Amino acid sequence: MTGRQPSATGQTALDRLRGRALPKNHDARTISALAANPGCTRRALMDAAGVDKQRIAAQAGFPAPFGQSRFAIVRGNAFEAQVKENGAAQLLVLLRDLLGLDVSEVGYADFNDVGGNSSAEVRHLHTRHALTAPDQPGRTLLDHPLLRLKVGGRPAYLEPDLIALRLDGTFHVIEIKSFAVIDGQADPAKVAAAAIQSAVYVRALRDLVSEAGGDPAAVSHDTILVAPRDFSSQPTAASLDVRRQLGVLDRQLSRIASIEDLISQYPPALTFDLDPDAQGRPRRPAAELAAAIGQVAANYAPECLATCELCFLCRDEAAGTTGALGKPVREDLGGIEYIAQARSLARGQVPAPEQAEIAALLLRAAQLREQVLGEAV
Amino acid sequence: MAETIEALERRIDELRVAVREAVLAGDRTLAGQRRSALRSAEQAWEDALDEVAPAGAAGAGPSAQAGPAEPPESSALPGSLLPLREQVYEALSLLQVPAAPKLIATVHEAFFGATFPTTRVTSLKRDEERSFRTAPFARPYYICAALSADYLAPSRGLLAVSTWPLELRMIGSLSPRADFLTAAIRVAEAIERIPEPPAAARRLLQRFAASVSGAISPGGGADPAAVSEAARAELTVHRDADAEARAAAAERARGLHHAERLFGTTMFRDRAGDAADDAAEAAGAEAKAAGE
Repeated sequence: MTGRQPSATGQTALDRLRGRALPKNHDARTISALAANPGCTRRALMDAAGVDKQRIAAQAGFPAPFGQSRFAIVRGNAFEAQVKENGAAQLLVLLRDLLGLDVSEVGYADFNDVGGNSSAEVRHLHTRHALTAPDQPGRTLLDHPLLRLKVGGRPAYLEPDLIALRLDGTFHVIEIKSFAVIDGQADPAKVAAAAIQSAVYVRALRDLVSEAGGDPAAVSHDTILVAPRDFSSQPTAASLDVRRQLGVLDRQLSRIASIEDLISQYPPALTFDLDPDAQGRPRRPAAELAAAIGQVAANYAPECLATCELCFLCRDEAAGTTGALGKPVREDLGGIEYIAQARSLARGQVPAPEQAEIAALLLRAAQLREQVLGEAV
Repeated sequence: MAETIEALERRIDELRVAVREAVLAGDRTLAGQRRSALRSAEQAWEDALDEVAPAGAAGAGPSAQAGPAEPPESSALPGSLLPLREQVYEALSLLQVPAAPKLIATVHEAFFGATFPTTRVTSLKRDEERSFRTAPFARPYYICAALSADYLAPSRGLLAVSTWPLELRMIGSLSPRADFLTAAIRVAEAIERIPEPPAAARRLLQRFAASVSGAISPGGGADPAAVSEAARAELTVHRDADAEARAAAAERARGLHHAERLFGTTMFRDRAGDAADDAAEAAGAEAKAAGE
């Protein structure tokens, strides 16, 4: 896909930022995380360069126990296997009931390996052939096709749970998740994460179709989320519109492409190299590394704790700022950056002219608090 | 007693080779003699097996509880391999379609009263392949692979019986659904044959019914006749296209070598996992050779 790759000079600058480490490849999770905090320059820069953030964070003194829970993975896999067993029998019934899938549409193709070969390259070629070949003999459900999305010039392999073909003539991405949908309601944060992940697949699938000369609109922005219903292990399906997530994702991906503008703001000596010894053990002093990281501004929000390996470092750095209390607090206290500043305004400090409005609000809030609780701020 | 069975098996194997040689040599009298010797040996083997059956089932209990922690070598031990192989054969013969270990275990539990950990079934297929490659056609049947119609490679996780028609072991894109419906019909028919079907069998039927449109009775239960009828109705939609794809694949598969025809082509295989399997296989073969 053109227009989504940094230029040669940009790439050189990114390689320098990364130092001697090998670039870390993206997956659906890390690409989704890109779109989770679009305002964070630090993350944008490190992700574009393919920096191993986990190792950087550990070396800088803020190791984050990061990754998916083993139990969640086991549960997720078990539910996925159950939905897909016997030619996705459970899923077919769901799709027929909820989306009107025709009875004749039962084709099921396994893309987990190609004749016993499970290498990413072979599987991707097989997927591309299957999705773009003019005759698609009775393939309605594609199990674990392997898509590819270029992020910052490097390919990332992506593996959607399922792609349903020919459901009203278009491709639909199906994502199977193991969080429960209770009374038609699910945890909004988890649904949002599933939506952005599905959007990543839709983007990759559209790239694949348009590369082959097809119409990208053949890939629907309506994805299908399959999750356990209520407290049972019976699956239920819901349609998920991911147009908004696609917009955010496209913006982030093009931002990586124009990363040069961002890099040019920083000194050419800036690098996140860990100075590894012969055994690959990092030797760079923590303080020096932290100082290098500190040169690039972060945009910490409590949500980062769920999506970014650098979260503890950024949280420590953001201590005392209003942003550390969450996005709603920062928005409510527009223009005030530090908590201490907000408190002194509440205590009656004379505000700067541009802060007069928020200062009045804070003062009033402090008075109310004193009346109710009998204690000053 | 297990030694007697082992000895009989060796004799049966030897007699089979002898019969084959006699037939190939065109000596009908000798072939006839050897055939009757083979039949009596097989009968003796069946009788010996019946005698040890309860003891064998009791012996399988503790190893079944050991589950995945159990080392794969133990399944190659004499005694434990045989009952598992028979159990899988029984369940597959009831279904008459290629099935995954989980379904095989469930069907066996529902109709034959005993279950087994699915992890052991995976090593069973490897044992069967090894046995076939060492002494081809020495056994009356093999638990073998179903083949993907495109590359004729073993279809992931599906088991079949070597004596089935080749078409049945080919898995095209419509085959998973067609086989699922056929399995539903077979299970429904098997339940109809039993005067008082066990609860596990009814549960199995219920699970099949839940995934076949129109198979659940208005009361919410699953009636064998209704399930069978609904499955047949849907099967008519897929049957012709599926049969065509399977026949075409089977035609290509006939060009394969015997072992590949049963256990799938391996030319694309590259996985580290398979290398590990091969290593385990080699180690297992050595252990077996040492045992003999």
